[in-house]
This record gives sequence, C-alpha cells and structure tokens, in this order.
Amino acid sequence: MMTEAPANDYPARDRHQIQTLILAVTVLSTLLIAVFLVVTFAASLNQYGFLHFPLGFYLLAQGLLILIVAVAFWFIRMQERIDLARSESEGL
Amino acid sequence: MKAPSRLRTPNPHLGAYYAIVTSTFVSLVIVLAMFEQLGWGQALLAQTMMIVPLGLYLLIAASTRTHDVEDFFVSGRRVPPVYNGFVLAAVAVGGVGFVAYTGTIFFLGFDALAIGLGWVLGLLAASILFVPYLRKAGSYTLPGFLGHRFRSPSLRVAASAMQLPPAALLLVAEIKIAALIAAFFLPVSFSIAAILIAALIAAFAILGGMRSLTWTGSAQFLVGAVGLAAVVTTISVLLTNVPAPQLTYGEMFGALQNAEIAAGIAPFGPAEIPNALPGAAPLPALKPFLQAFGFLSPFDFLVLVLSLAFGMAALPSLLVRSGLTPSLAEQRRASAWGLLFVALFVMTAPAMAAFAKLVMFRDIALAPTSSLPAWLGELSQNHLLQAGDANGDGAIGAGELFIGRDAVVFALPSAARLPFVLTVLMATSALAIALAASAAHLFTLAASLAEDLYRVYDQRHTLPQLVAAWAAIAASALAAAVFLIIADLDPLAAALLALAFAGATFFPTLLLAIWWRRFTKWGAMAAMSTGFAVMLIEAIFGGAFGLGRPGISAPLASLIGIVLALAAGIGVSFYLRPPSKIEDDYREEMRDPNGETIYDRAQWRAAAAAAAAPASEAATDQ
Repeated sequence: MMTEAPANDYPARDRHQIQTLILAVTVLSTLLIAVFLVVTFAASLNQYGFLHFPLGFYLLAQGLLILIVAVAFWFIRMQERIDLARSESEGL
Repeated sequence: MKAPSRLRTPNPHLGAYYAIVTSTFVSLVIVLAMFEQLGWGQALLAQTMMIVPLGLYLLIAASTRTHDVEDFFVSGRRVPPVYNGFVLAAVAVGGVGFVAYTGTIFFLGFDALAIGLGWVLGLLAASILFVPYLRKAGSYTLPGFLGHRFRSPSLRVAASAMQLPPAALLLVAEIKIAALIAAFFLPVSFSIAAILIAALIAAFAILGGMRSLTWTGSAQFLVGAVGLAAVVTTISVLLTNVPAPQLTYGEMFGALQNAEIAAGIAPFGPAEIPNALPGAAPLPALKPFLQAFGFLSPFDFLVLVLSLAFGMAALPSLLVRSGLTPSLAEQRRASAWGLLFVALFVMTAPAMAAFAKLVMFRDIALAPTSSLPAWLGELSQNHLLQAGDANGDGAIGAGELFIGRDAVVFALPSAARLPFVLTVLMATSALAIALAASAAHLFTLAASLAEDLYRVYDQRHTLPQLVAAWAAIAASALAAAVFLIIADLDPLAAALLALAFAGATFFPTLLLAIWWRRFTKWGAMAAMSTGFAVMLIEAIFGGAFGLGRPGISAPLASLIGIVLALAAGIGVSFYLRPPSKIEDDYREEMRDPNGETIYDRAQWRAAAAAAAAPASEAATDQ
C-alpha cells in the first residue's frame, strides 16, 4: 500500500471513506445547527405551546433529545449500508 | 491463543440473570413498603434497603472474578450491546447527573437544560466520530490507543498523565456523592463512608476488572432505573393522574407559576447573579422555572452545551467501553442504546425538578408559620433544607427556604407526602448509579496507570500485568478516599471541570488521529499538550482568561483550548515530516470496518511467534 495512493487504486475503500465522512459531517452539522437555532430563538418559540409546554422549553428538554436519539439509530442503518457496500465490492 | 471474535458468544442466560436481579430488588422494595406500614423504623428501613443491593453487587462481582487478561481489561469482548449500553448510560449520567443535575434544574429551571443537552449531543458525537474506530483498534486504554496509533511510547505516557485530571476529578466527585448518600442514610460518618465506598469499588474492580464492572454496572443501572421510575411515576400519578411524568409535567406549569409568584419569585437578568451555576451549599431557589436565560445568557448556554458535548464525546471512561462488544456493528448499537438511556434520564430530570418545586412552594407559599406542613419540619430535622421566617411577615417566602442542591432529589418524595420507603428507594438508586460511575472512573484511571505508565517504563515487567493493575486500583481508590477526607469539593463543579479537561485534551487529538491522514505523532503531542495546558491555566487561575463568568469559565476555557489544540495539531503536523507508512497503514486498517480487532491480531501474532521460537523474547505489549 502506497502512502500517497492514487485515488483509483482502492476505489471501494475511497468511496467508503468519502461516504462515511459525508454522513458524519451531515448528521453532526445538522444537529448542531438545530441546537443553535433552537437556543437562539428559544425565547420567541416560548410564545407557542406544545403539549402544555412552552415550545422553546419543550424542544430543549425533550424535542431535540428525541431527534438526536432517532438520528443515532438512523445513522447506524446508513453506516451499515455503506460498510456492506465496501465489503461486497472488496469480495469479502 | 484466543478465540476469534466471531466465536465470542455472550452468555445466553444473561436475560434470565438480570430478570432475577431486577425482581429481587422489586420484591425487596415491596416487602419494605409493607414493613413500613407494619411499623418498622426509618433507620432499619434505610439500612435494609441500601445494604441488600450492595451485597447483591458484591455477589455479582465475586462470581465474575477473573484472572484472564482479556476478560480483565475488555470483559472478553463478549458483552451484548444492550448491556454495554446500560453501563455506558450509568457512567455517563453518574451520581453527579442523578443528584446534582436534577438539583441544578430545580434552581435554574430552563437554563440548566444546557447540561443534559450537552451530554446527549456528546454521546452522539462519540458514537459517530470515535467509537467504531476505537473498537477496531481494540486497545485496552485510550492512551494505549494513541500510543499504538502513532507507534510512540512517549505519546502513550503523556496521554496517560494528561488523562489523570479528568478521571481523578470524576472519581472523587462520584465517590463524594455516594459517600454523602451513605453517610446520610446509614449510621456512618462521611469519612468512614468515603473509605467504605472506595474499598467497595476497588473490590469490584480488583475481583474481575472490566468484566465485574460490566456485570455489577448492569445491575446498578437496573436498580437505578427501576427506583427512579417507581418514585417519579408515583408522584406523576398523584399530581396529574397519568403515569408518564415526561409528558405531563407541562400541565403543572400554570400551578407552578402561581406557586412561584405567591412565594415571591420574580424574573431577573444574568447580570444580577454572581455565579452562573448553583454551588453545593444550601441556597434559596429564586429564579422562575420557565424563565428563559435568567442565569445564563444564550451565549453562555451554547458554551455549556458545546463544552459538555466535547467533553462527553472524548471522556476516557466511556471510550474504554468501546472494545467490549463482539463486533464493530454491535458496538455502534451499544452506543445508541447508551444514548437512548441517557436521553430518557435527561428527559425525566426536569420533571422531577418541576414536581419538587411545585409541591414545595405550593405548600409553603403564604402558609402561616404557625401551621407549616409536616414535611418541612421533617426535612429540616434531617438537614435537607432550612426554613425560617427571617423577615417576620408571618410566612415563609422563596428567599427564606434554603435547600441543598444535592438534597432536592431526596426531599422530593417527602415533600410529596410519600412513604419514607420511597425516599430510601431514591437514595438507593442514586447510590447505585454513583457506584457504577465511580467504579468505571477508578478502573479507567488505574488501568491506564498500570498499562500505560508502569508497563511502558518497566520494560522487564517485574510485576505481572494483572498484579500491576490491582496495585494501581488499590492505590487510586485509597488516594481518592484520603483526598475526600481532607479536601472539600463541589461534585458538579468538579465534573464540569473534568469534562472540560477531557474535551480540551482528547477531543481534538482523537478527531485528527482518526479522521485526518496527515496527522503525526508530534502533531498529536502538540494538540494534546496545548489543550491540556489551557485547561491547567484555567484550573489554577480561573476566569477563562478574563472572558468567562464564575461557574462557566471552565467550559469556555475548554472551547478556547479545543480551537488552539486543533490549530497546534494541524500546524505541527504540516511543519514536520509526513506520517510513516506504518502509521498510515494502521490508520487505514482502523478505518476498515471489516476484520478482526488490530490489537488482538497483534497479540495472536506475538503468541504464535513465541510458540514458534520459545527462546526469542516476544513483545507482548505493542
């Protein structure tokens, strides 16, 4: 294996790494942006209600947490699909 | 030497064992609830409720004792994902989360939500960025991983030394919470309780290492979860008629606001508060529960979320549990289960705090001092709170009710007029979680001292691998107990500082070591030392270089440290020679999701080489 391997020497490996990177960056940046937006607008969101909670409070206390847990389980499915594609194309 | 991981099958009877553990505990609670009605005294109830589970944990630890190195350090890599998730959640929340986080919500309301959100976000970041790759690498400790990744014993030693402050701070914080609970409900002083707790967790760790910690930790998680759920659900049914506290405490907000107004609580801004987070000493709760950004500004809130997220993501005590499951895919599931359990707790804690605030203020607000509710006298007698009519207006207002932050959880069942058995149940649950967390921090600290410091320096390996670990565990536990007896510390502040240390020191290093091809040994050394140095300056001088408010200056300093460490790591890596082929190969191997754990394969090769050439000395460590 060369240190500076040309991209097409290991097509399956490189595709796997790029897809993994894209997935990780997408998931984490989406959630960070969601947290940032909710914190920034929490005071205004509190004027709306949800299940008797003020909306801003609800999102920080529960809504974002439910979203994070759901994303965590979704991430596993997506990442396993990416891993499977690599092992199939490497003939393992 | 060892079976390949695909042959590692978990014990098929685990479900039955833990069903037995859980039902034993539930039966104990039911029997004690009946005995309370039959006239058992409070002291006897508390002792039975707390000591029987402790005996159960010791029994589990003794029956999972091991002298096998792989069992001792990684539980034989055959822990099913859900059980690993149990222990991950117990370690992540810990006694500090259980007791101090709930108390912080009681005082700060809305503003305290930053802490729980940061934890959950950090666990997700760890499960995406670090955990699968640490599982593939398979090193027994986090410094060990960095040493193997960069083929550098010096980096390994440095990482082990820099892991000391976060692990030791969390260890003493958790032992302190456990000892406070034990000293309160059992007839022992705080010093004796601290020594007993340290001895107990050292016994768990010495008997079977990670194997005992996993199986006692699972039992402790179940005891904690059952106890917490039973108490909070009972209170929820009493107050709202619905047994789902997370969904229903919103209905209480109208009543809560009325009670707060009656007790004289008015909104105010961040500038009026000297310290952003409540300390451990008893305080009046003066902030309206729902007021957004009263103690913390939105900026402070985000700083707290991010700092805790980075710290949780890079916390060594959680990351060492990455190597325990049979496969990489199962480790991903274990992280997700852990995340789910932590999120459930984080959603429940605000309900507890809101219920506690409602029942306390509804009862005392404007009740004449002559006819105060009975629970107030009872709790004052137990030193859980202090109340007195200081301004002589004939009633106790919010400013005259002083409650300890770490006492709120235990005051809740009495204030809701529940039987004493539920107060003890809550304490037993908190003790269980604190034990699981403190044992995990103790093992992380001691295993690293033995594996990464002692065995790297003493190349002749005078002490066998397990004896070195036992000695390190015993010494660390003793040091923690002695420290607690002579020094006073606020568990929540210590935990925040520890997470800030872990985030600034290890998050940038791990991120670059796993995700950046060009990262080198000296880059890693620079990143780690920069983050650590920033936090050391903060720990000594405080104030986050003049930028932070008291209470959240450590989180702010950790964010500054992370940015500087990333810059230092990238700069030094570019300036010096590119990584060697061995480092590059290791990184590519680590990022390949298929195949055996790198560390185990190296061990098998070393064992095979030793068997082929008995005269030659086989390197068993690298």
